[in-house]
Amino acid sequence: MPESLLLQIPRLLGAADSAGTPFRVDARLLGWALLTGVLALIMLLPASSRGWRASGCVIGLLSLGFLLSGVLAPIVPMSEQIVFWIVAAVTIIAAVAAIATPRPVYTALWFALSLLGTAALMFMQGAQFLGVATVVVYAGAIVVMFLFVVMLAQPEGNDAYDRITWGWYTKPVSAILGAVLVSLLAFTLGAMNQTTFQRPSAGATDVLHPAHMARFGGELFGKHLLSIELAGTLLLVALVAAIAIMIHGRDPVIAPLEGPDNE
Amino acid sequence: MNDVTELAMLQNYLLIGALLFAIGMLGFIVRRNMIVVFLCAEMMLQGVALSLVGWSRYFDDWGGQMLVLFIITVAACEAAIALALILMLARQTGNLDLADWQDLREEGSPPYVDHLIPEQREPPAVWPRLTPAGKVPEVDEEALLHRDRV
Repeated sequence: MPESLLLQIPRLLGAADSAGTPFRVDARLLGWALLTGVLALIMLLPASSRGWRASGCVIGLLSLGFLLSGVLAPIVPMSEQIVFWIVAAVTIIAAVAAIATPRPVYTALWFALSLLGTAALMFMQGAQFLGVATVVVYAGAIVVMFLFVVMLAQPEGNDAYDRITWGWYTKPVSAILGAVLVSLLAFTLGAMNQTTFQRPSAGATDVLHPAHMARFGGELFGKHLLSIELAGTLLLVALVAAIAIMIHGRDPVIAPLEGPDNE
Repeated sequence: MNDVTELAMLQNYLLIGALLFAIGMLGFIVRRNMIVVFLCAEMMLQGVALSLVGWSRYFDDWGGQMLVLFIITVAACEAAIALALILMLARQTGNLDLADWQDLREEGSPPYVDHLIPEQREPPAVWPRLTPAGKVPEVDEEALLHRDRV
């Protein structure tokens, strides 16, 4: 499958003859969504007053409405469509709030909510183990570790550097950069149809098999055995490295290298 | 489900993944707190993971989910090392500001100076206090003076 995918990319990028496309990304609505989204992000990011933040929230909700109603493709069962709308909205709103709030503790909590939304999206795609792993490893371990470091390094609410950014131009330039990234991907997606991305067959749904863990584990320990060994080694190396950093970083000033004959 | 719905799901997941990636990238560039910057890097990884799960479902191939599993592993390693580094850096400068480490910038480039430090806009938080319950026990001053310290 990957070889054929790679072969299809140039045809996809220059796909003018995409006849039979079931739908396209609506360029006008996507433009409006990205424009209002950029405005909302510039208003919401730190160093803005309360009024700017409130209007940024309103414009951001407008942008989300454009995105959900017009840009995202409709899914056929209406119940699944509604669940997808809710989960996607929670994920995106929590992600924006995570980078917009000036307090690092709230950033970690909003990021945990965004992770829960991501896990729900993974469940909807039949990736049950990965959804559980995201909740347990990310929201349960990594975010809590971040909260511990916040507690150790910055116990008070927020500091001056949380309320400012790098100069005045950083916010608009990077927001426009992100919007350009998303729109490029969306226009590439707009040329997608069933002929450019041929699915293997309609009947065999291996990923959606009821015995999910058995299939997942069989694939993991069969085809990817060497990779899982490497991942375990990587975890061990990271453990050793973290302990080494904690031990050797204790000196206030990094000592110059001294050989045995410098004494 | 039919193929049209599968394609719609794939498109939606790729778009949501791209949005998460872009939001994380924005936070990575804009924010100055080291911890927030690393959380934004994790958010970019999440966007990529969503795209991979979407592809895995669409092509009915386990490869995407395997890659997401290894992404989670690498993210855990990255978080462990990054948090140890952040703790050490914060211990040396006393705060989490990335601008304190701008000595590492390219030679010859001008230093970054903050021109506008905004004041604290929100009033300091007032936390609730517990009201004392029950009655205050009577303390015998004489007994305190002669009490054996055990």
